[in-house]
Amino acid sequence: MERLLALWVEALSSEEPDGSTLRDSLALLDALSLLCPFSELVRLGFYVLPLRGPSRFFGGEEAVLKMARETVRDVTGHEALLGVADGVFCAELAAREQRVVAPGATDAFRRAQPIEVLGRKDLATTCRRLGLYTLGPFADLEVARVGERFNKHALELHRVARGELDELVGQRDLRLGARLGHLVGEPSSKHEQLGLFGQRGAGDERAFAAAHRVRRRLGADALLVASPRGGRAPEDRATLVPWGSPLVEPDAKAPWPGQIRSPSPVTSLAHPVAVRLHDQHDAPVLMSARGTLSGEPATLLLTSYARRTVCWYAGPWPLVERWWVLGRRRAYLQVVLSLGEAMLLSAESGRWWLVGIYD
Amino acid sequence: MMPLGEPWKALVPGGGLRRGSTVVVEAAPGLGGLSLALSLLTASSANGHWAGVVGVDDPGVVAMAELGVDLRRVLFVPRPRGAWAESAADLLDGVDLLVVRPPSRAAHGVARKLMDRVRERGTVLIVLSEPGAAWPLPAELSFVVTESRWATSSRLDARYLSVRVAGRGEAGRASEHVVMLPNRRGQAAAT
Repeated sequence: MERLLALWVEALSSEEPDGSTLRDSLALLDALSLLCPFSELVRLGFYVLPLRGPSRFFGGEEAVLKMARETVRDVTGHEALLGVADGVFCAELAAREQRVVAPGATDAFRRAQPIEVLGRKDLATTCRRLGLYTLGPFADLEVARVGERFNKHALELHRVARGELDELVGQRDLRLGARLGHLVGEPSSKHEQLGLFGQRGAGDERAFAAAHRVRRRLGADALLVASPRGGRAPEDRATLVPWGSPLVEPDAKAPWPGQIRSPSPVTSLAHPVAVRLHDQHDAPVLMSARGTLSGEPATLLLTSYARRTVCWYAGPWPLVERWWVLGRRRAYLQVVLSLGEAMLLSAESGRWWLVGIYD
Repeated sequence: MMPLGEPWKALVPGGGLRRGSTVVVEAAPGLGGLSLALSLLTASSANGHWAGVVGVDDPGVVAMAELGVDLRRVLFVPRPRGAWAESAADLLDGVDLLVVRPPSRAAHGVARKLMDRVRERGTVLIVLSEPGAAWPLPAELSFVVTESRWATSSRLDARYLSVRVAGRGEAGRASEHVVMLPNRRGQAAAT
């Protein structure tokens, strides 16, 4: 079971009729995704994120907790209850107690919980009559006995109590994902209130009116605004999103290290173009698993017609993204071509890609 | 006047961009024209003015932030398809500076209409063009990149651009300058 950081934000747990809760929930999810790209909104008010990767990355669980707490405060203006434990079920209980359950201690933590935490009144009443006040003794009942003694729902609850299931039925709002999906593209209430990022002035109104005209002319996807993110690759560090999508506040302390240092390419290809890189013998330049090149880059083939001489290159700089899950390997190379143009290439999956132009 | 940042405020006649004027930036592809055009936005953007960028597909927003453009007030229409001039006209009403890269040489009539609108609205139009597809009408101010050279160490460090700056009328005398664009920090700077 995965060690999770759970956040309970009371103020976002019940829906306002104006739809602002959903929009604010999405804004917070986007912001938490900067800490960990696998952050989840389990149901309104309740977020979890896997803790192992980010805490190794940010230098400890304490650091991640602090950043998560500040994120909630900055984005929503509310305080969150934070807790850490294994699995969604226990993580939520830990958050309500504002407790960090030590690694390996989740079993004991769960067994000590009152039987009521399973959320079934009938089951709790029966258990108490039998003298089973906490999850521990209930978990120790034999499965067969639970089957004959209680109704069919109890078997699943029993598995949760034993730590075999990670979350309770009903703990997760299954329709929430689809509802949030519909929201992307609408301005978030926070931004309606504050303008795109700050005080909304007359200039902003004028700009928004112009933006609306362009959207009417060309469609909703034609007008884009910048939304800084925290990726390691240049095309991940900031991105353009259709105007009206929820925005994340720009964060100068972007979370991933190993960024290509400035200057950054002023053209950053959203869809990298496959190119070929050859050495002086016209053999393809390959990158080994250890990040070394098979030869000196001499020619860049942008298309089958456009062969350009490489006058200078630097790198490769290997990067491993989302290293704790995907193990995706990439390396970057800067090249200057014969007419003085500079480009940023990446090697990935055994191929070279044009990802940026220093125009 | 719309303010200009380093190094342009010292190099441009009047030290700023006159509202209602059209500025042409001309450079061969890949030789710094886009960086130059975007560097003209920085001071105004920092002062709270809105900017638009039309026809620049895949703008590097990180590079723009490094230049000093406040991305919170920039609207992008990267792929206006056939309607670059219409999109530009739409945005002219809402922004203070507009960077446009026409997909090919702009027709005389289209250029005329846009420039008239720019004058009416008091916007600044910054047209990014290539030597083969020059803007068909004279602009109030022009920047022509004549040479581009990278300084390198173990990586790309800085680019030295030779730029000819020319105004029209009294301020029309052309002057040649070498600027760093970008420097190590991704900004425009004097040499």
